[in-house]
Amino acid sequence: MKNDLLTGSLVYLAAVDPQTMAEALSRWGRDSEYWRLLASDPARLHSAKATREWLEKEMDNKRSPFYMFSIRTLEDDSLVGEIGLDGVVWSHSESFVGISLGERRNWGKGYGTDAMRILLRYAFTELNLQRVSLTVFEYNPRAIRSYEKAGFKVEGRVRQFLNRDGQRWDMIFMGILRNEWLNRNQTSTIA
Amino acid sequence: MNNELLTGDLVRLTAEDPQIIAETFSRWGRDSEYTRLLDNDPARLSSITKTKEWIKKVAEKEQILETFFLVRSLEGNPLIGFVGLFGIQWNYGDAWVGIGIGDRQYWGKGYGTDTMRVILRYAFTEMNLQRITLGVFEYNPRAIRSYEKAGFKVEGILRQYLHREGRYWDEIMMGILREEWMENEK
Repeated sequence: MKNDLLTGSLVYLAAVDPQTMAEALSRWGRDSEYWRLLASDPARLHSAKATREWLEKEMDNKRSPFYMFSIRTLEDDSLVGEIGLDGVVWSHSESFVGISLGERRNWGKGYGTDAMRILLRYAFTELNLQRVSLTVFEYNPRAIRSYEKAGFKVEGRVRQFLNRDGQRWDMIFMGILRNEWLNRNQTSTIA
Repeated sequence: MNNELLTGDLVRLTAEDPQIIAETFSRWGRDSEYTRLLDNDPARLSSITKTKEWIKKVAEKEQILETFFLVRSLEGNPLIGFVGLFGIQWNYGDAWVGIGIGDRQYWGKGYGTDTMRVILRYAFTEMNLQRITLGVFEYNPRAIRSYEKAGFKVEGILRQYLHREGRYWDEIMMGILREEWMENEK
C-alpha cells in the first residue's frame, strides 16, 4: 500500500502494535549503550509485559497525545526502531520528538535521519505544529549529526547535566521551526 | 482577587463543583424554550445523577478536547449560564463554542454577549486558536444579534435543517477568525 505521507527513501512509519513493540523495546533495552543514548534516567530492565502496559497507557493519553510510530525498512519490512511526538502542547503548537534504533547493526545507515525527515513532514503538514524540540547527549555525535541533517539547530546546552562513566556531559537542546522546515521543503501534497 | 482573563463587564467565568453544575443544568433543562434555543437534539429531561456523569466525562477530556466554564453575574454572584469550547481540532486551531444563559431573568440584557467576549479572548489569547465556529437557529434572532456584536460573521446556512413547531427552520453557521478578532480588539 502506498502511503506517501509516512514513507521515506529507506524506511516507512508504521502503526505501533503494542505487543510487537513491547517485545522489541524490551529486547533493545538489554543493550546498555542503546539505553544510555536514549534516556537520561538510570538504565533499567523492563519486561515486555510492563512495557506493553506503559505503551497502551501512553497511547491512550487524551490529555497529551503520544504520536508514536514503528520504523520499518522499505527493503524487507523489518522493525528497526521507533519514533514519536511525545507531549504535544497544542496551545503553543509545539512538541518534543523522540527516536531510537534498536539494533546496533542498523545504526549509522541513515535510517534515523530518514525516519526523522518523515516525522517532521508529519509534524509540520499534518499536525501543523509551529516547532519541534529534542534533547540529545553530548556523547552522541552520530545523533547530533543526524538531527542537523534533518534540519535541527542547536538551541542550548544544559551544562554537565549528565554523569556517566565518571564524567559529566552536557545535554543539548535542538529545535526546528516551521518556517525553517518549509524553506527546506517546498513541496505540496495537494496539487 | 483579580482574574481579568476570565472576567468581563457583567460576568465572570468560573469553575463549579459537579454537584452544583448538575443541579443547575437539571433545573434549566426543564425550561423547554431554553433547550430549544440551546441545541437541536429532541428536548429531554436529564436527572441530576445523569448530568453529573456527563460532566465527569467532559472533565476527563478537559483542556485537550473541551474547555468548559460556568458563568456568574458580577452583581450578586448568581449562577446564570455556561460557556465552553468543544470539539477542538488542534491541528487546524478550530473549536465550536457553545453558550447557554439558563436563567431567563438574564436574557436580553447583554450577559450572553459579554460572556462570548470573554470566551473569545480566552480562545484567541490563551488557547491560541485560529477560528471559532458556532451554529444558531433561525428562530433565535436575539442570539444571532449577540454573536454579531461579539464579532461573528454568518458563513453559511443549513437550509431547513430543523423541524420544530410544525415547520422547518434553517441552522445558521457563524464563525470568527483570529485576524478579525485581533482587528476588533485594536
